[in-house]
Amino acid sequence: MIKFENLTKTFHGIPAVDNINLSVPPGSVFGFIGPNGAGKTTTIKMMVGVLKPTKGNIFINNMDMLKEATRIKMSLGFIPDRPFLYEKLSGVEFLKFKAGLYGIAANAIDKKIVDLLNIFELTDWADELIESYSHGMKQRLIIASAIMHDPKVIIVDEPMVGLDPSGAKLVKEIFLDRTKKGDTVFMSTHTLSLAQEICGLIAIVDKGRILACGTYEDLKHQTRTEGNLESIFLRLTKGDKDSEGI
Amino acid sequence: MRVFKILIAPRFFGFVNEIKGNKAHRKIKSLILIIAGIMLWLALFLLFYRLLIYFSSQELIGYILAKRVLGMVILMLFSILIFSNIITALSNLYLSRDLELCHSSPATIIEIFFSRSFYTLMDSTWMPVIFGAPVLMAYGLVYHAGINYYLNVLNVFIPLILISASLGIMFVMILVRFLPAQRAGNIVMFISIILIIMLYLLFRFLRPEKLVNPEVFTSIAQYLTELKTPDSRYLPSYWATSLLWASLIKSQTSHIFNHLLLWSTALSMIIINTWLAGYIYFDGFSKSLESRRRSSSGKKILETIVSVITKPLAPNNKSLISKEAYTFFRDNTQWTQLLLLAALIIVYLYNFSVLPLEKSPIKSIYLQNALSFLNIGMAGFVISALSVRFVFPSISSEGKAFWIILSSPLSLKRFLWCKFFAYLIPLAIISEILIVYSNYLLRVSGFMMILSSTTIFFMVFGIVALGVGLGSIYPNFEHENIANIATSYGGFIYMVASFIFIAITVVVEAGPVYSILKARFKGESISDLQLIWIVCSFIFVILFTILTVKKSMSAGMKAITNYEG
Repeated sequence: MIKFENLTKTFHGIPAVDNINLSVPPGSVFGFIGPNGAGKTTTIKMMVGVLKPTKGNIFINNMDMLKEATRIKMSLGFIPDRPFLYEKLSGVEFLKFKAGLYGIAANAIDKKIVDLLNIFELTDWADELIESYSHGMKQRLIIASAIMHDPKVIIVDEPMVGLDPSGAKLVKEIFLDRTKKGDTVFMSTHTLSLAQEICGLIAIVDKGRILACGTYEDLKHQTRTEGNLESIFLRLTKGDKDSEGI
Repeated sequence: MRVFKILIAPRFFGFVNEIKGNKAHRKIKSLILIIAGIMLWLALFLLFYRLLIYFSSQELIGYILAKRVLGMVILMLFSILIFSNIITALSNLYLSRDLELCHSSPATIIEIFFSRSFYTLMDSTWMPVIFGAPVLMAYGLVYHAGINYYLNVLNVFIPLILISASLGIMFVMILVRFLPAQRAGNIVMFISIILIIMLYLLFRFLRPEKLVNPEVFTSIAQYLTELKTPDSRYLPSYWATSLLWASLIKSQTSHIFNHLLLWSTALSMIIINTWLAGYIYFDGFSKSLESRRRSSSGKKILETIVSVITKPLAPNNKSLISKEAYTFFRDNTQWTQLLLLAALIIVYLYNFSVLPLEKSPIKSIYLQNALSFLNIGMAGFVISALSVRFVFPSISSEGKAFWIILSSPLSLKRFLWCKFFAYLIPLAIISEILIVYSNYLLRVSGFMMILSSTTIFFMVFGIVALGVGLGSIYPNFEHENIANIATSYGGFIYMVASFIFIAITVVVEAGPVYSILKARFKGESISDLQLIWIVCSFIFVILFTILTVKKSMSAGMKAITNYEG
């Protein structure tokens, strides 16, 4: 499970994430949605240990990010929005490299690598350098590497960017399948239809604060909106400028 | 012209914003770099000024030498300009990220070509021109040239710059027409570096120092013939030299033909390039967007070597070191740098092999051991030169993929130490080869051999730690070319820090080594006080090295932990 306590991040005094408190139960896909500059990516970067919070704490699987970052990271899988990789490694070498970072010996994971390359349709490109991959292929390779060590929590920033429809369908299935096993998926996205479709819980953020949080039905009720998630989102982020953080 | 102005505007505004937006610490950085640049400029000016003053005091030969040196300087500037234009033209015309935006705009191919040629000309010209200026100024001052000479410098250099830019751009356009830009880039870099290395080695092996040693020439006539050998009359640099020399010595002879040759060549080159661009520029650009598959040859060799070397390591260390080796050896820019540095080492060792130790008036055994001691410092500088190219940029080399390390369970401490050991071992081996082989050439005593190989061994620890530490303090994960990291502000700071570290080590050891050698050669024994001093000095060197390693790594660790992009 994931828990934020008064999570705050400021850049030169300007808050990007402003005193967020949140709890995500295990076994769910959690949607973290908001307009550009709402603080979604900053929050995610703090969750995966790339940025340090200015104030507050993050707890993942009951471990404190400030105190047990290494242990938490062992159980995390991170999929960033932009697929920057080591361009001079081949796909297989990258997967072995990632396995090594998680302390897994390369020979112990050979079979899994073959399976993942197969699932993500990268087998033919396995020995090619990443520099020759398309954007979508890089994204698929990152997703494969993020789930390779069976993380209990998957953190995703814009999962569908660059993926073709079959790739997007595959990723959706993988996420839902993992939540059935008790894993948690924390997903930031602009694709509201996707959030509505697969997220059990959704938080809408703007200007670093949570405007609303709950199931889709809860959000409809809180905003007294009958439309889809898009209507709720627009109402909270545009129509109702005076919304208080929840 | 309107579209051309729009196309070059981003670079202009970017430059202005860069200056305006500079914060205090960046202003200090810029100031330090500017001061270093001015010092280099002044050093170059003083060097040539003194050289020309010396030449002007030598009747007959001095005059020929001055003209010959001017010809060599202009030929060198012309060659550097062409080479530099080739490199920048490739990126400006074919590889820049904003080219897709330009080509998708309603601007014509010729307008895009002109704007990119302008970028190329600016990028490749400013440095040779700035550092060529002190040489030409020294000539003007020593030979009391009038205003005519300085106007002629402009009149000569404008067409010379246009010719070199046109030649570079034309070469690149033709090459990219037949090869994808990425591959053409690699080939150009490779050929250019090989040519530079060959020229460098040839120059060194010709032993120019013999020109100041008349004994090697059988007659003065042979010496003068050697000096008077003219440049090719068909080269623009020759026309430029003739014009500049004429205005320098206020010659009355008309040089209108050389003037016409320079300007007409420059203008016709521009016309030919414009015509050529209309035919082949877009085809080449389109090709540069096509990706290519990896060639299978040589794939397995590197993988086998890396897997054998990393076999005994723990999985995460193995992963990091394998990744470091793969990315290093597959990056052509690193290869070309390796070749340059190999040439540096060959020449370094060659210099020892041609030292005329027997002819020296100083007793050979003193000289050999003194040189061997100095050799420790010089080898240290060579290792620093290697480090600034490879160790210092090793943190920045993670590039935009650094998120992988940050989000992984691997501690940053282990990450930095892996980097440290990945470079320490090869550099320690290279430094020992350098020291042992050069000492062998110097035929030094066993004591000096042991002392210098031990000192350099410890020194490498400090040099590498400074590289990793300062590389973490001054990282640039947004770089487009890893080779540029070495010449950044951080690279400059690293070289200064590294030189100070080497100098302290050598200075602390100098006194004790001198007293040991003196006692040995005079057959005297070392006093107790001297012995204490010697032991304390060596202990200080070891402690100083440990402290440098510890402080550099912890400062690097602190900086990289707090890194937030």
